[in-house]
Amino acid sequence: MSQVQKKKHSPRIFVAIFLYALAAVLILVSIFGFYLRGAGTTTKNLNSMRTQAVLHSASGGLVDSIANQARADKLKELRSRSDFRTLGLDQVNATCDAAASAARAEAEAIYSNATVNDSTGLENSINAFEKALSVYGGLREKERAIYSDLYVTLVENVPDWTDLVDAAEGDDDKLFSSLSSWASSLALSEHAHLKSGFVKLAHAMAEKEQTADDAELLGQLTSSLTRTISDWTTLSGMDDDSLWTALCSEIEGFSENERFRSNLLQTAKKYISAAEKGEVISEEVKDSGAATVYDTVTDYSFFTASDEMSAASEGVESAYQELWSELTEIIPDLANLDKKMQKNIRTTLENTVWPGDTDFSTRFTAYAAQKGDGILSGTDAFMMRLSSLARNILIAGIALLLLATLLMFWKTLTDRFGIPRTIITLFFIYLCLAAILYDISVPMMLSNVMIRMGMYGILVLAMMPGIQCGIGLNMGMTIGCIAGLLGVVLSLQFDLVGWHGLIFACVSGALISLPLGWAYSKLLNRMKGNEMTISTYVGFSFVALMCIGWMMLPFNNPKIIWLLSGHGLRVTHSLLGSYAHLLDEFLSFEILGVEVPTGLLLFLLFCCLLMWLFSRSRTGIAMTAVGSNPRFAEASGISVNKMRTIGTVLSTMIAAVGIVIYSQAFGYAQLYTAPRQLGFIAASAILIGGATVRKAKVSHVIFGVFLFEGVLVLGQQIANAAVAGGGLSEVMRIMISNGIILYALTQTGGASRE
Amino acid sequence: MNKQNKIVNHIKSYAVTYLFIALSIFFIVVSGLDLNYVASQLLLRLNRNAFIVLALIIPIVAGMGINFSITIGAMAAQIGLLLTISWGVTGLPGILLAGAITLPLASLFGFLIGKLLNKMKGQETIGSLILGYFANGAYQLLFLFIFGTFIPLSDKVTIVGASGVQNTLNLTGSVGLYKALDGILQIPFSMIAYIIAGVVAVLSVVLFVRKKLTTQKLVLAIVGAALVVCVLQIPFVSGLFSGAGGRQMIRVPVVTWLLIACLCVFNTLIMRTRLGQKFRAVGQSQTVANAAGINVDKTRVIAIVISTVLAGWGQIVFMQSDGIGTFQTYAAHEQVGLYAGAAILVGGASIDRATNLQALVGTFLFHSLFITAQSAASNLFGDSAVGEYFRAFLSYGVIAIALVIYAWRGAKKTKTGGLDLTKVEKN
Repeated sequence: MSQVQKKKHSPRIFVAIFLYALAAVLILVSIFGFYLRGAGTTTKNLNSMRTQAVLHSASGGLVDSIANQARADKLKELRSRSDFRTLGLDQVNATCDAAASAARAEAEAIYSNATVNDSTGLENSINAFEKALSVYGGLREKERAIYSDLYVTLVENVPDWTDLVDAAEGDDDKLFSSLSSWASSLALSEHAHLKSGFVKLAHAMAEKEQTADDAELLGQLTSSLTRTISDWTTLSGMDDDSLWTALCSEIEGFSENERFRSNLLQTAKKYISAAEKGEVISEEVKDSGAATVYDTVTDYSFFTASDEMSAASEGVESAYQELWSELTEIIPDLANLDKKMQKNIRTTLENTVWPGDTDFSTRFTAYAAQKGDGILSGTDAFMMRLSSLARNILIAGIALLLLATLLMFWKTLTDRFGIPRTIITLFFIYLCLAAILYDISVPMMLSNVMIRMGMYGILVLAMMPGIQCGIGLNMGMTIGCIAGLLGVVLSLQFDLVGWHGLIFACVSGALISLPLGWAYSKLLNRMKGNEMTISTYVGFSFVALMCIGWMMLPFNNPKIIWLLSGHGLRVTHSLLGSYAHLLDEFLSFEILGVEVPTGLLLFLLFCCLLMWLFSRSRTGIAMTAVGSNPRFAEASGISVNKMRTIGTVLSTMIAAVGIVIYSQAFGYAQLYTAPRQLGFIAASAILIGGATVRKAKVSHVIFGVFLFEGVLVLGQQIANAAVAGGGLSEVMRIMISNGIILYALTQTGGASRE
Repeated sequence: MNKQNKIVNHIKSYAVTYLFIALSIFFIVVSGLDLNYVASQLLLRLNRNAFIVLALIIPIVAGMGINFSITIGAMAAQIGLLLTISWGVTGLPGILLAGAITLPLASLFGFLIGKLLNKMKGQETIGSLILGYFANGAYQLLFLFIFGTFIPLSDKVTIVGASGVQNTLNLTGSVGLYKALDGILQIPFSMIAYIIAGVVAVLSVVLFVRKKLTTQKLVLAIVGAALVVCVLQIPFVSGLFSGAGGRQMIRVPVVTWLLIACLCVFNTLIMRTRLGQKFRAVGQSQTVANAAGINVDKTRVIAIVISTVLAGWGQIVFMQSDGIGTFQTYAAHEQVGLYAGAAILVGGASIDRATNLQALVGTFLFHSLFITAQSAASNLFGDSAVGEYFRAFLSYGVIAIALVIYAWRGAKKTKTGGLDLTKVEKN
């Protein structure tokens, strides 16, 4: 028997061994590449590459200029011909291009192999230029980082720029000191040079606020057009003035906003002409979609340099003049170029000589981009390329190594952890290693993971009582989420800020979710065996129903409703003025660059502890019994329905608290369709942690949310570093999240239904 | 007594349908839209969506619930369309090519879906839903990163200077896929009605002569046909469809309708074959089917394969149809399962039984609400956004209600307080 089994599995082992060998080769090659980086010849080669690249970018600029000139000349010549108009665009283009490429070839023959008489002079000036640039670059990076920090602090914290600017009454010093009260380090004497920039920023932000307010008001006025006026044909044929008067009398808010007149009239005319044609006038409603964390993007246009940096900039200037004179000596025609071309060449030169880093592969790539590798002999070029690719080869080697390990111990691993968990854990390890190689800041990542753990942790915890009491994955926890969001909106309605607001939101959310959860559990008690399907669609329907609810509920605080229509809650509510990040920043501290959101983590641990204590209590044990074996539980006198009700209500209430914590960590509360997918995220996290649809423990929650969020945060960073353009991390989230739920379904989906 | 019982049962099982008929009429009245507009939109949407909705029938009969993974069929069709556009094949050949590409792709996907759903018996509805979401991830991966980089495509569909396919592709103009089926032959609606009435009358007479029809049914058929012709003579009714009074003349795209009719015939005929009997046997009881020597798993896979391929073709019919014109590369498939599932349930189908008529009636009713909801809500609540949300609520709500009713009936049947004993396994 064992013989047979061994035979059956042998191909897998062979593949694994082959992969091991391949991985070993790759890793050895990459080590060799890293070793080469340190060798003396490499440094020499790199330097000669640099010289070649500098020469090429200078001569390349010249050649470009000559080719462009030739093209322009040809075009001029064609234009002067009498039959110019009869020529097609394609033909003109083709003729000009031919002239340009002929000139280019000629110029390249002359300039590309420039003879260097005194290479040491050139090399010295390049060295000086590189040094000056690196000093300047380092300073620039540092100062921009300081600026960026201040910028982000201000933009995220200042609640109303218009107020700030108005309060200063045109006095720049006053404005600056009030800005310093929001970002205290701004007042330091070493940041004095930033003053004028930030004052300008404040004015610009105030203006932007004004424009945004205007745009929102205009949007509301426009949408009130469709809402208020049902029959547009009655308005047809009017001139502008009478149409405007008619609209003003019909719709409130129009007469006060004369400045939008032309915009609104245009829209109204569009509607009228549509109505005349008998078309239906409809307004698009935007779906805000799932939650994404907004990052404040720094705008550097208000940046001002310090004296030190200006001095460094002058150093760069003089070094460049030196280099330029060396270059004109070698290629005299360079001096005849116009200003614009000279500036282009300078930009290219700067980017080539100082690509922003002294890292080997960065330099190699920058030089190679300017054909610097042309000077190397075949073997040297290969070696250099090899060492520049060493890191990528190493990453591939590690990936193969992990893959081989996975194949080698497939059975042991999957028996112990299940297929998806094995894959995800290995993937996580791989991402960690890749993150180190990609120089991704580990402390920042850790802080990110911790914040997101705290953010999602309680939502994931809400899955636990559902699983324990036997309703399986409670996809209908969105009902609880909506109750929690109601709590948040209520706290905003009553203008509660700080701890009062947060606690009020949690408590009121939990209280609202109590009757909802109870009714929901009664429904589920009649649907035994189909809970997951039903709860998913009940959750979806409830989200859709509440979309109408958000529009209709009688909230009236102007901060949270659509201003003009006077009813209906907005989609996104910023909590920045009330209790955003309150729990994150409670007792938070920084250690080794890692910012620890103490309050958030403590609260998560506290909730987990309560849940653990509860599952140890009499009721908790009875509930777990119902979940794992309802027949046995019923036989031993436990009321199955009662326990399921308790579990469902508990799950719904935890979800309500969870969404409040989520919103405060996120900084925004999102209504309407935003909560729809939360159930899926929570379910996949707890499943990744090792829970099944019948058993769940607190450890599954914590491990799951760590692994899931860890993979997402790391994956996002690495995907951004490796591939240009976003989207890959979102794809990864979709596939991991739904893949794990599918796996859980196949494990329990009643393979023996009948 | 017996008759009364029958009526009660009928109303009970079609409660959702009657509710929707009432709602539709109410909405049409409240919305204040021109009836000619409603009628033209309805016909348009019926002809657009009916094919996909009809694709849901076979899995329902085979006991696999609402097959939400028809979105995967739609994805296969979209891959076909993308390649067709990229290769520059236009018109009817383009549509045929897209359909031909869809066939193997959708069959393969369907086979995989079937295999997976066999591992989650009893949870097919939710399983296929999540499978659709999962496949959406793979689809995004394919369109964002693999097409254009590993699989070469023409500049017409890719983004120059970045990886991935364009967000929106135009089907009109030189691409030439817009109305490639719809535009072949368009006949005024009243003409089609006369033709159908005539065919029905002649056919029933022929069948009567051949003694395959009772006198009662013959009279019924002829009276029905005559009634249709008479009703169309009423100026109010004929005004709805003809272009009188500055209204739109309603024309029917004959080829698309023929395709839908063919699918209806296919659905009916396949149920009479051995395969169809297997579907029904498996749908009624897997244990009994197994005992009768039917390969249950294989039968279920075949049902899903057929459904996925049909859904793919349905998506092609949808994309080329009048009024679409653009191909939302990354989102066109997303709501396919939801709308089709809701539509068939509105028509009175349930999780375990469905007919052609239910699918067509459901599509008709569901879309009549869809057309009117916005205007109606804006008239009722003074806010058109409410109408948008109400549409979403309808779609999800009707599926939730159908699932609840089905589970309720099941729970009553087992009489164990709803506790499905087989679900309680040893682990």
